[in-house]
Amino acid sequence: MNASFPTQVPLIELRGIAKRFGGVTALDGVDFELRSGEVHALLGENGAGKSTLIKILGGIHRPDAGEILVDGQVVEIREVTDADRLGIRLIHQELSLAPNLSVAENIFLGREPGRFGFLNRRALFASAQALIAELGLPELGSAETRVADLSVAQQQMTEIARALSTRARILILDEPTASLSEAETESLFVKLRGLCGQGVGIIYISHRLEEIQRLAHRITVLRDGRSVGTQAAAELNQNELIRLMVGRDLQARSLRPPERPGGVALTVRNLRNAQVHDVSFELRYGEILGFVGLVGAGRTELARALFGIDSLHSGEILVDGKSTIIRCPGDAMSAGLALVPEDRKRQGLVMTGSVAYNLALPWTREWIRGCRPDAQRRSGIVSRAVQSFGIKLDDPEQPIGNLSGGNQQKVVVGKWMERPPKILILDEPTRGVDVGAREEMFVIIHRMVAQGMAVILISSDLPEVMNLAHRLALYRAGRIVREVAAREISPEEVMAELTRN
Amino acid sequence: MNANFKSFRQVLPLLVAIVVLLGLFRISAPQFLSVENLLDLAQQISVNAILAFGMTLVILIGGIDLSVGAVVALIGTVTVAVLVRGGLAPGLLAGFGMAAVFGAINGVCAARTRMPPFIITLATMLVARGVALRFNEGRPLAVPDSEKLFLALGNARLFGFLPAPVLLMIAAFGVTSVLLHRTRFGQHLYAIGGNREAARFTGIPLARNEVVVYVICSLLAGLAGIIHASQLYSAEPASGQGFELNAIAAVVVGGTSFTGGIGTMRGTLIGAIIIGILDKGLNQAGVHFSLQYIVKGLVVLAAVYLDVRRRRQ
Repeated sequence: MNASFPTQVPLIELRGIAKRFGGVTALDGVDFELRSGEVHALLGENGAGKSTLIKILGGIHRPDAGEILVDGQVVEIREVTDADRLGIRLIHQELSLAPNLSVAENIFLGREPGRFGFLNRRALFASAQALIAELGLPELGSAETRVADLSVAQQQMTEIARALSTRARILILDEPTASLSEAETESLFVKLRGLCGQGVGIIYISHRLEEIQRLAHRITVLRDGRSVGTQAAAELNQNELIRLMVGRDLQARSLRPPERPGGVALTVRNLRNAQVHDVSFELRYGEILGFVGLVGAGRTELARALFGIDSLHSGEILVDGKSTIIRCPGDAMSAGLALVPEDRKRQGLVMTGSVAYNLALPWTREWIRGCRPDAQRRSGIVSRAVQSFGIKLDDPEQPIGNLSGGNQQKVVVGKWMERPPKILILDEPTRGVDVGAREEMFVIIHRMVAQGMAVILISSDLPEVMNLAHRLALYRAGRIVREVAAREISPEEVMAELTRN
Repeated sequence: MNANFKSFRQVLPLLVAIVVLLGLFRISAPQFLSVENLLDLAQQISVNAILAFGMTLVILIGGIDLSVGAVVALIGTVTVAVLVRGGLAPGLLAGFGMAAVFGAINGVCAARTRMPPFIITLATMLVARGVALRFNEGRPLAVPDSEKLFLALGNARLFGFLPAPVLLMIAAFGVTSVLLHRTRFGQHLYAIGGNREAARFTGIPLARNEVVVYVICSLLAGLAGIIHASQLYSAEPASGQGFELNAIAAVVVGGTSFTGGIGTMRGTLIGAIIIGILDKGLNQAGVHFSLQYIVKGLVVLAAVYLDVRRRRQ
C-alpha cells in the first residue's frame, strides 16, 4: 500500500469484519492492518465503530463475520484471555487499575510471583522495579507507590508497563491523552515512539487531529461502520481528515421543522457547577437547539444540572422570563421541563415494572387519589401514550424488558406526554435504536415542535443534529464555544471547532 | 381481572405449600387441624407477620432493617416502664415515639449518607439492644395485673374466639397492603427499589420516601414489641433475639426480591404463615429443635431458589 514500508507480514490483519447489535449495524465489512513498529491511528466520529472494532480485538465482542489474522495466521478471539495470549493489550479510556494496590501489584495483577499461593513480595517489587527501569519509565518512581497517589499520566504509564510485562506486541490506546497535560502528552509520545522502535505495533484512537498527525504513521478513517480508507499520515492535512470523517452526504430531505420561533421559553445565565463552566443560552418555543460536542464534552452534565439532578454552584434559570429555582427533578417538572435521559435502562425505565407501570408512573397524582387508584384513568393515560407514540406491544402489562429498544425509547419519551412539558430535553434520543425507530423518533420530535414545544437536542450523531436543529450550540469541555444557526455552518466547520485542542 | 389472576398465580405455589404442610402435620399430629390449635398458630404467627410487613417495604426499596428484633425488646421495655409509672396512654406514646426515633435514624442515615443499610441497622440494632438493657439493669419488668387493657393487647380473645394479636396483625396487613398497593407512595416504592436512578429522573423524592419506609418498619416493630411484652406479662430487655431473621425469612419466602422492586404484601403474609406452620408443626411433631433450624434454613433456600428460577424464565 505504501512504498515507504518494507513488505512484511502484518502483525494484525482484519478482513471484512462485521458486527450488529440488535437492529443496529456497528461494523459493516471493515478491513484493517497493523504493521510491526507503526502507530496506526483510528479516526471517526462518535459512533463510527471505533470502539466496537477495538473491543473485537480485545475479545470483548465477537464479530458476526470476517477474519482476524495475527502474524498471517487466522485466529479466533473469543475472550479477553485469547487476546492476552496473542499479545494484544487494550488500554481503555477509563483506566482499569486497582487504586489501593501498589504499582508493582498492579503490574503483576493475576500473575503475582510466589509459591503455594503465598505472595513473594520481595520478588514482586524487585521485578516490577526492574521492568520500570527496562522500559525507561523513571517517572513511575518506586514500584511500591500506591496507584491512587499517582497522576493520571503515571497511571497510564503503569497500564502500559503492565501491558508490556506480558510481552504484548500490539497495544491499543483509546483516547490516552484525554486527561493529560501537554508536557505529559509529549512524554507519552516519546515512550510510544520508543516502543515502536522495539517492534511493537500501536493502534491509537484520539479525537485530536493535530496529535494524530504528529504521532501516527498511517491513519484509517471509519465512517458509519465502514472503513473509508487508509493513508499515510503525511499525505493528509487536517481539512482532508475532517472531510473523510464527516463525508456522509447529508440526507437531501431536510428533517428540520419549519422555523416559527415563538417567545423565549428558557433563559440560562452563567450556569456553573463542577462540570458546567459558565453556560448561558436562550431557547424559544417551537425551536430545536442542538448541543453538539464530542463524547465527554459535558453535554449530559449540563442536562442533569438543568433538570435538578446535579446541584448548581451559581447561575440563573428563567422559564417564561420568570426566575426559577430548580433543586430537584420535581422542581424542574413543575417548572415545565422534562428530560429524556441518555441511558434508558439505567435512568429512563424501571425494568422490574410493566410498560403500563412505567407510562403511568409520572402521573400517579392524576390516577391515585389518597388510597383510591382509578384503574380507568390509569389505562387512559397508558393507552393515550401507546397510541400517540405508536408503541408496539401485546399487552400494556407485559414487562418493559420485552419491548425492542426503539419501543422502549418511545416509552421513555411517551411517559412525559400526558401533559406535555414546555421544554423537553432529549439526551441521545436515538442511541441504540434501529433506522426505522429513529425515523419515528424524528416524526415525534417534529410533532412536538409543531405544537410549540421548546426542545434541547443532545446527540452525538452530527448529521442528525445538523439536520434537525434550528440552532447549534457547539460544546467543548463544559462550555458553549460557539452558537450558530444550523444552516449557516458546514459539518466540516463543526468538526474543526470540536476537535480543536 | 387479568392482573388479579396473575398475582393469584404467583402466590399459588405458596398456597399449595401451605396445604401440603398442614396435611403432613395432620398425619403426624391428628389434633393439628383443630380450631383451637389453628387459632393458637395464628396467634404465634402474628408478631412475626407484623415485623415482616414492615420488612417487606424496606426490602422492596432495596434496603434491609436488622434492628427490628432489638426494637421489639426496647419498645416493650420502654412502654412497660412508662406504663407502670404513668398509665397506658403515656406508655404507648413513649413506646411508639421511641420506635419512630429509631426508624427516623435508620431512614435518614440510609437516605442522606452512602452507608449501606445493612451496616446502619446493624449499628442501631446494637444501640437499641443496649438501651433496652439499661432499663432496670437488664432485668424483666413485670406488667401489673391491674393493667387489664395492656394485657388484653396480647392475650384477649375477641368474642371469646379471635386472639387480639391476630386482629392487630390483620389490621397491620390491611394498612400496609393499602399503602403499598393503592397509594402513590406504594407506586413510588416499586420505582425506587426497581431502579433508583430512574425514580430520581422521574421526579420521585427518594429521601422522603426512604425515611417514611424505615419509620413505618420501626413503628410496626414497636407494635410487635408491645404485643410481645403483653403476651409475656412482662417486658424482657433480652427478648426479640433473631426476630429480624425470621421476618426476613417470611419476606423472601413470600416472593419479595432481595434486589428490590418486586414483591407483594399478600406474599409476605403467606410467607409468615408458612414459617409459622413449620415452627409449630415441627414442634408438635416432636422434632428436635436443632433439626427445626435446619429444616427452616433449607425451606428458605428452596423458596428463594425457585423464585429466582421462575423470574429468569
